[in-house]
Amino acid sequence: MSGIDDERILASAPPAGLWSQGWGRFRKSRVGMAGGGIVLALYLVALFAPLLAPHDPIAQGDVPAMRYVPPSAQHPLGTDKFGRDVLSRVIYGSRISLMIGFLAVAITVVLGALVGAAAGYFGGAVDAILMRIVDALLAIPRLFLLLTCVALFSGSMWLIIVLLGATGWMATARLVRAQVLSLRNLDYVKAAEALGAGGKSIIWRHLIPNTLTVIIVAATLRIGGIILTEASLSFLGLGVPPPTPSWGQMVFEGREALLGAWWLSTFPGMAIAVTVIGFNLLGDALKEAFDPKRFV
Amino acid sequence: MDTLLKVENLRTVFDTEEGTARVVDGVSFEVGRGETVGLVGESGCGKSVTALSIMRLVSAPGRIAGGSILLEGRDLLALPEKEMRKVRGNKVSIVFQEPLTSLNPVFTCGEQVREAIALHQRLGRKESKARAIEMLALVRIPDPEKRYGAYPHQMSGGMRQRVMIAMALSCEPSLLIADEPTSALDVSVQGQIIELLGELQERMHMAVLLITHDLAVVAQMVHRVIVMYAGVVVEEAPMEDIFRRPGHPYTEGLLSSIAKPGSRGGKLSQIAGTVPDPLRLPPGCRFSDRCPKRFEKCTIGEPPLFELPSGRLSRCWLRGEGGKA
Repeated sequence: MSGIDDERILASAPPAGLWSQGWGRFRKSRVGMAGGGIVLALYLVALFAPLLAPHDPIAQGDVPAMRYVPPSAQHPLGTDKFGRDVLSRVIYGSRISLMIGFLAVAITVVLGALVGAAAGYFGGAVDAILMRIVDALLAIPRLFLLLTCVALFSGSMWLIIVLLGATGWMATARLVRAQVLSLRNLDYVKAAEALGAGGKSIIWRHLIPNTLTVIIVAATLRIGGIILTEASLSFLGLGVPPPTPSWGQMVFEGREALLGAWWLSTFPGMAIAVTVIGFNLLGDALKEAFDPKRFV
Repeated sequence: MDTLLKVENLRTVFDTEEGTARVVDGVSFEVGRGETVGLVGESGCGKSVTALSIMRLVSAPGRIAGGSILLEGRDLLALPEKEMRKVRGNKVSIVFQEPLTSLNPVFTCGEQVREAIALHQRLGRKESKARAIEMLALVRIPDPEKRYGAYPHQMSGGMRQRVMIAMALSCEPSLLIADEPTSALDVSVQGQIIELLGELQERMHMAVLLITHDLAVVAQMVHRVIVMYAGVVVEEAPMEDIFRRPGHPYTEGLLSSIAKPGSRGGKLSQIAGTVPDPLRLPPGCRFSDRCPKRFEKCTIGEPPLFELPSGRLSRCWLRGEGGKA
């Protein structure tokens, strides 16, 4: 009788944790590898920008002679109206986009996780108050709020990061709250309480580890959106102030000469698209690989 | 026998929009040191809520509205939450019905046993790990050193329930509450788990409160049986007496709904109707609307727990003075 039961567990594969299981599935996903490859490549480009860029992205040389040069061997992506090399600017621009995306999402994750976990775990009045704040903030048109703040306080990169982070955490809070709510009543949380575990130990040992994959997936998917928002702000002329190269701002500046010099807006636009696609593919694959329903 | 647990007039209610549901309505019983007591009844009779009340783990909208729960003479209901945490898992442990979901999927089984030990005992990492492996061996998990690193999803239901038992017993509690410990398992595994519980109970000299809806499960290891119906105790008797001459029509109904080996072809009888909604209890005896032996008195007044010879108790008018039996 016990033979079947025992053999089955003894014959099973060597222990594999949730992370290694998820990683194993992720590695088999072509979409995930493509997304991960794009993201990794982008970070490498940003990191080694000074080595990769053929020219200085900011310095202006002989402007009248060098402006609006179409793509050529010397300037593979052409030059802009100040004679600056577009390729170099696109390469340096990746730093801004990736840094803003990463830091702003880090803020949304920390704020969202704290608010969501508090609301979900404590419930009652705490939950009601925090969630009403979330509802109220979600009701404010985000772009409008961003534009007002940037216009009032004159934009710098840090202000934009803080603003993007501070206005983007509400969805994460809702997600974490829902997750904590569903975990709080799970049998293993009850079993831990029955063994004498206190609130702190339950949050750290049971609630947070089981919410982490969901948060990571949501954060990855969010980065694409944040990069797009930053690009839109720059396009409206309220992003990172020039001459610091940012993709959105390059698209904006290229707009006036679009018919004559198509390369000005096209290449930074493509960079934005590739980046957003990369993060979204990565996020989707992570979501698939770490889907809680697939762990049994 | 030396009394370990004394539950007196326990009342646990659930506040609903329609009113206050008295799910446990004045339950009293005792469990002696080292004794095994069965708490039996249909789903919804209040047996699990009684168990959660003893652990003080009833969650909102439920609350303990009255009574006392004395463990070694100390009223658990009067303890501050911090003190109560030292009782849970240490003096009183509980094993739940669902071994499949009672383990955290993110940690290995061994880690979780170690964690249970570390909650109440000051041991170094190595010592607590050694103790956890000892516990896994005690609950008959083959190759415990290797299985220490196994994740819950790599184990079968029976093995996971063994891990739960190892966690519950890791601090050698004086009382183990087993809430339907085998209901979610295969029939072949059920017997093994009950056997294991009986063996560990003797070895560790602990008392066991075994909660089940299945009298046949209880028969193997229980000394005394308490039968609950609609939030109250309707009968209490030594195990042998329950099977030979049940003292309450409800117990008779429970017994006749067990399939007996050898009685082939006959139709299994069942108790007509369902457990009443605690918000809409019938007048008089709570079992009166389903009782085949009902007479006038039953719908008029609720019977008290009559004391019968040899320390038995029955909440049935037929057993009281002036009853027909």
